[in-house]
Amino acid sequence: MSIGKTIAFTTLLLCAVLIFISVVAISAGSSGIHFWEIMKTLTGKSVTDSATATIIWQIRIPRVILAASVGGTLALGGLVFQALLRNPLAEPYILGISGGSAIGAILAMLIGLSFFPGVALFSFGGSLLVLAFVTTLAGTALGNTMLSRDSLLLGGVMMNAFCAAVIMFLISMTRSFQVQHILYWLMGDLSSLQGGQLAILILVIPCFAVIFIMARPMNLLLLGRETAAAMGINVKNTILLLLIITSLMVSIIVSLSGLVGFVGLVIPHIFRSIFGPDHRVLVPACILGGASYLIVCDLLARILPSSGEMPVGIITALIGAPLFIILLLRGRS
Amino acid sequence: MFTPKSYKTYIILLLMIILLQPGSLPAETVTDQVGRTFNVPENPGRIIALAPSITEIMYDLGQEKRLVGVTQYSTYPPEAESLPRVGSYVRLDIEKIVALQPDLCLAIKDGNPKHIVDKLVNLGIPVYVVNPRNLKQIMDVVTRLGSLLNAEQKAKELVLDMEKRIGQVQSRVKKGARRPRVFFQIDAEPLFSAGTNTFIHELIEMAGGINTTAGEVAYPRFSWEDIIVLQPEIVLISSMAGGLPPEYLLKSWQKWSMLSAVKNGRIYVVDAELFDRPTPRLVDGLEVIAAIIHPELFIKSDKRD
Repeated sequence: MSIGKTIAFTTLLLCAVLIFISVVAISAGSSGIHFWEIMKTLTGKSVTDSATATIIWQIRIPRVILAASVGGTLALGGLVFQALLRNPLAEPYILGISGGSAIGAILAMLIGLSFFPGVALFSFGGSLLVLAFVTTLAGTALGNTMLSRDSLLLGGVMMNAFCAAVIMFLISMTRSFQVQHILYWLMGDLSSLQGGQLAILILVIPCFAVIFIMARPMNLLLLGRETAAAMGINVKNTILLLLIITSLMVSIIVSLSGLVGFVGLVIPHIFRSIFGPDHRVLVPACILGGASYLIVCDLLARILPSSGEMPVGIITALIGAPLFIILLLRGRS
Repeated sequence: MFTPKSYKTYIILLLMIILLQPGSLPAETVTDQVGRTFNVPENPGRIIALAPSITEIMYDLGQEKRLVGVTQYSTYPPEAESLPRVGSYVRLDIEKIVALQPDLCLAIKDGNPKHIVDKLVNLGIPVYVVNPRNLKQIMDVVTRLGSLLNAEQKAKELVLDMEKRIGQVQSRVKKGARRPRVFFQIDAEPLFSAGTNTFIHELIEMAGGINTTAGEVAYPRFSWEDIIVLQPEIVLISSMAGGLPPEYLLKSWQKWSMLSAVKNGRIYVVDAELFDRPTPRLVDGLEVIAAIIHPELFIKSDKRD
């Protein structure tokens, strides 16, 4: 199969999976299963029961859209960072995004700002500050202009460690009922955003497009920076552009969902083990696969607990870790 | 899938469908305890209480038949346990709330997250927010809910009963010359107590004691060193502290024999439910600790149970 056909095939396949999963996730929820109502609504017939219509249109559909965007963005972010840093443990938060955004979000919660736009903006700002610091540090302060992998990684890890200490300090100073909000945010949680605020998610789509265009340069970067440069890639600009675009889209997502863990780490590995290392296939695969995965996890988070939903970040790792271990074992045999 | 633009159109259409539905109940305009003004259907028949304290007040007002949903830990009165649950008060299940089709939700400011209240309002569900900060305001909550639910008479009786019992405690305490120093332990390992802006502080002062942990921070943390400096004469321990058994909680104080509370054996475990919920039952709590602080003024058997 030519590369074009492979891309088309995997993309269509995963699109079908995503649509199927979305319909299932919109059909089910804590108030019961509404499969036929969905079918009626989707085929244009109006639902007579206004509570069911509200649940489907204003609660479940926005929720599924949010889960899809968060999952797709995080998986893609993980893929890009794993390629740029050539480190299998890289994940979208590795450059300090998690620490910076968490401090921002917690400060906003302590001041008493509302979730949107207050907490989201603070979290976005915190994330950008830390990113700017880490990239400048890696780019200049350590005396190399090539944004070396190690200095990026170390800078990010150190910033996250520092931020973790600040977070712990803030939590220890906080009243009990606020601690719960903070913890849920840190665990990653899709229940806070309201339907009308979803428009902001459109911002990640151009980021997806740019990264897809950069898929071939990313392939070449995997061969090493010298080789990539020899093949006509402007290594520094490519890395810088990818870093900025990816960090921006991850920061937007984190500011809306909190720290949903594990999706960004495990989804790229799963698809790499299935489809091989070509980023032209992996970029769309990670977007669609990450979206589907988080929709499923979020569905479970919504329906599993008998009283109140649980943060989706718990489910992503509960399912993701065993799944990944199984894949590892299979790869061996 | 669809674009956000068509999505908005759908929402507007939906809102119109909801708003234009015939036969909606006549509405009245109310202002809640945090100053929000909105319409609620007159005599709302389907109510969801978003916190255990509100559930309790609904039962106190004899309006439990209107309750179609309550939150986790709505354990009092025991009958409330059989009502449908809509999540915990910090983590409400919006979908279940909508599915129960309430005419009105009753929320509490210090607990229910604001973004959830906003979300419910955006979904067209009126939310009445209460914000009791002291006993007087709990009476105000009772009065307000009473008039909202056509139970003015019952509300008046409840408030009068509270006022009468508080008055009794206050008039007896006035005779007590000395105000002992009280430490109220609300949590263990780590140890937390209650600052000035809490019900516990109000109850201790009203019962004729001095709250040794009065101060800016609502729930300050303490070390044993701090406590030895505070020199409490009476220690009250919430029965829920740290989820630990009462014997263990009492024992953890015994090794500090230099404290007069330990020397004189004035350490008591009190029922957490009487102190951590802003309901008329706080008056029961008041009577309990007044009898502990001033046993000479109260005959223990006259406390209500």
